[in-house]
Amino acid sequence: MMTIEQVRKLKSLIALAFCTLAAFFGLFWLIFILGDVLIHGIGALNPSLFTNDPVPPGIEGGGLRNAFVGHLIITSFATLIGVPVGVLGGTFLAEYARGRKIARVISVLSDIMVSVPSIVIGTFIYAVLVKPVGHFSGWAGAVALAIIMIPVVLRTTEDMLSLVPWTLREAAFALGAPYYKVIIHVVYRAAAAGILTGILLSIARVVGETAPLLFTSFNNSFFSANMNGPVSSLTVTIFQYAMGPYSSWHSQAWAASLMITVFILVLTVLGRFILRWRYGKRPTI
Amino acid sequence: MNDNIKIEVRRLNFYYSGALHVLKDISFSMYKNTVTALIGPSGCGKTTFLRCLNRMHDLYPGNRYEGEIWMDDDNILDNDIDHIGLRSKVGMVFQKPTPFPMSIFENIAFGLKLMGIKKKTEIAERVERALKDAALWEETADILNKFALSLSGGQQQRLCIARAIAVEPEVILMDEPCSALDPIATAKIEDLITELTKRYTVIIVTHNMQQAARVSEYTGFFMMGKLIEFDTTQKIFTAPSDKMTEDYITGRFG
Amino acid sequence: MRHKKNPVDLIFLLVSGLASLSVIALIVGILFTLISESSLSIEKFGLWGFISSTDWNPVKESFGAATNLFGTAITTVLSILIAVPVAIGIAIFVTEIAPNFLKGPIGAAIELLAAIPSIIYGMWGLFTLAPIMANYIEPALQKSIGSLPLVGMLFEGTPMGIDLLTASVILSIMIIPFTASISRDAFNLTPAVIKESAYALGATKWEVVRSIVLPYSKLGVFGGIVLSLGRALGETMAVAFVLGNNHQITSSLFDAAATITVTLANEFTEADTDIYLSSLFYLALLLFLMSFIILALAKFFILKAERKYP
Repeated sequence: MMTIEQVRKLKSLIALAFCTLAAFFGLFWLIFILGDVLIHGIGALNPSLFTNDPVPPGIEGGGLRNAFVGHLIITSFATLIGVPVGVLGGTFLAEYARGRKIARVISVLSDIMVSVPSIVIGTFIYAVLVKPVGHFSGWAGAVALAIIMIPVVLRTTEDMLSLVPWTLREAAFALGAPYYKVIIHVVYRAAAAGILTGILLSIARVVGETAPLLFTSFNNSFFSANMNGPVSSLTVTIFQYAMGPYSSWHSQAWAASLMITVFILVLTVLGRFILRWRYGKRPTI
Repeated sequence: MNDNIKIEVRRLNFYYSGALHVLKDISFSMYKNTVTALIGPSGCGKTTFLRCLNRMHDLYPGNRYEGEIWMDDDNILDNDIDHIGLRSKVGMVFQKPTPFPMSIFENIAFGLKLMGIKKKTEIAERVERALKDAALWEETADILNKFALSLSGGQQQRLCIARAIAVEPEVILMDEPCSALDPIATAKIEDLITELTKRYTVIIVTHNMQQAARVSEYTGFFMMGKLIEFDTTQKIFTAPSDKMTEDYITGRFG
Repeated sequence: MRHKKNPVDLIFLLVSGLASLSVIALIVGILFTLISESSLSIEKFGLWGFISSTDWNPVKESFGAATNLFGTAITTVLSILIAVPVAIGIAIFVTEIAPNFLKGPIGAAIELLAAIPSIIYGMWGLFTLAPIMANYIEPALQKSIGSLPLVGMLFEGTPMGIDLLTASVILSIMIIPFTASISRDAFNLTPAVIKESAYALGATKWEVVRSIVLPYSKLGVFGGIVLSLGRALGETMAVAFVLGNNHQITSSLFDAAATITVTLANEFTEADTDIYLSSLFYLALLLFLMSFIILALAKFFILKAERKYP
């Protein structure tokens, strides 16, 4: 017969063992996935992947140069559109509208927008930028990604600016500086590392997006840097190639997946590193 | 061991993880059914010492004890000592009130249920007795099912004392229990502490020397990790034998 | 001295104000665009007619959302059922059990895994998980509990690996890091001193977790679960590879199906008639409304949790 205390300890042991088991079960699958991408991806990496454009299945030596370049262009333009809007929007919430109801509302709506299904953004952009002109375009893809970036950048900027102590602003005001100068010369400078992290994490967020590109920038099996026409992207290519019947397509899809994963992990680690170095804390997004 | 001694500390040294040596060679005894006050400037190690007595430091890795702490016939620093059993014998009240996120009743029943008491009537009976002992019954008898966080700070602290005594420990540790309270709530708790010595051995860490003088029979003065002087409260406050103690209680530093 | 607003300051205020209003403009814009694009389908099928009809027939131009809603509901609910216990287990492990030198690395690993894009999960599901499901897990399920009455219905048919079960498993693996990360943050809101006072009463670690940490963080964890639900609901690429895009309502988890997102991904560029495209927009509108409501609810719970225990 066990004492009540022994029963309690046994119960605790069993429950904690289940938690540990759950943790390892979860981590097992995640490591499995990463390892699989790594093994298949590395096996499929070769120089022609980056230097050649696709060739018809069955012919040796094709690559994904078009998709790499296309992806880079689309993401760059998305960043150029999304970052200024996001940073300015976050500035408004943390500075001019600080503590006002409108700031709370926009802040909460942005948090919701961060998680709105990205494929819905794709359909929206199709309706406003593709259907009226009658063809897919790189611009449509870039704008779709920018829309996904804006709330992410806006919220991190708002949070990071709010961390800047109010007394710092007062000190600048006391010197007679107008608010915009206080923001640009003092507040931005104090929050630079945090804002940069927000930008890096938002790029990491959109660079792996597929759904919003499917019917905006579409796909293009030829090299094209023309943003007015369909532009190839890595993620859409992965979708198309993986679902296709050819094993050469499959291995190229693995290689592309590896490149995207590595790129995103590097950005994420970098972002978190900057934040830890500067603030000693984890980001909230 | 002297029959009146409840806890005897022998050459206790304590190191926080990272080899920070915070308690140095502490030896003294605490007596049954008395209040022992531990005083000293901030960072002197008095709270650290208190948390040795229920092995609270073991919740965090890397902390290390040396020496012995005898409680009755056990050295509680032995490796095979059962922390859970020890802690049900040694109750603790914290600096700030720590109500659990449940009703007033459940807060006190929590420890009783841990002890394996299942009978509803017995639990209700003991909750009532604990609340009465903590001088909180009159204020809470009608609102036992209310969330504990809705009580005032002083009431919350008395609830925490009730929670600690409900499981009928032998020793009660108090870590500056009044530092977050107003003077009226403080007076109530001090009365309560005096009342508690009828059944328990109380060890209280305090910043407030008047409080130590009011409630305790024995006082230990800590400074920089050392026990400078330990004696009856009367002796410490009227004729301390150490110069540092005298300086501290007369307010010349600290 | 009279107060005079600096003109540059005014411009800066206006521009930044407009930038922040863009979020509201986008939400309103998306809503109105989706409504106007789907108006053709709304007029033809109505609301109840659309969501209750199992038809999805481009040739006869008859469309209903029931099969898509069915697929979305099953994969979302099933994935949450699998993911939540595992995620909470991970969060408990990281906050309460793991030795200190493991806490940081495992926590960081979980957050990195949450950053991996869904298309990677989807592709891995197609090439690696689907064969494992078809060859080992699904036959084993069929043999063990497939013969039970009622429950057995869920495991009928030939295990192909491209089905509701595989899609749900992939989806659950994908949301585990996200859910675990939010739960961990919620657990960490429990003040150490409250946990200490439970330990001081002689509670075991599990008793502290169950009676103190979980009640303390339940609002936040619940908000996190609802947020994960919102994410799973709108996830496209993780399920697009392994669901088979078959418009049907079935009793077996071993059958192919379609979700709103998978239908959109596969058929949007193929829609050759106005009513077909309009019906797809109608699906997108339903998805937008559902996820917006669920995400708003999640946000509500999380805010409430933060207010309650600041």
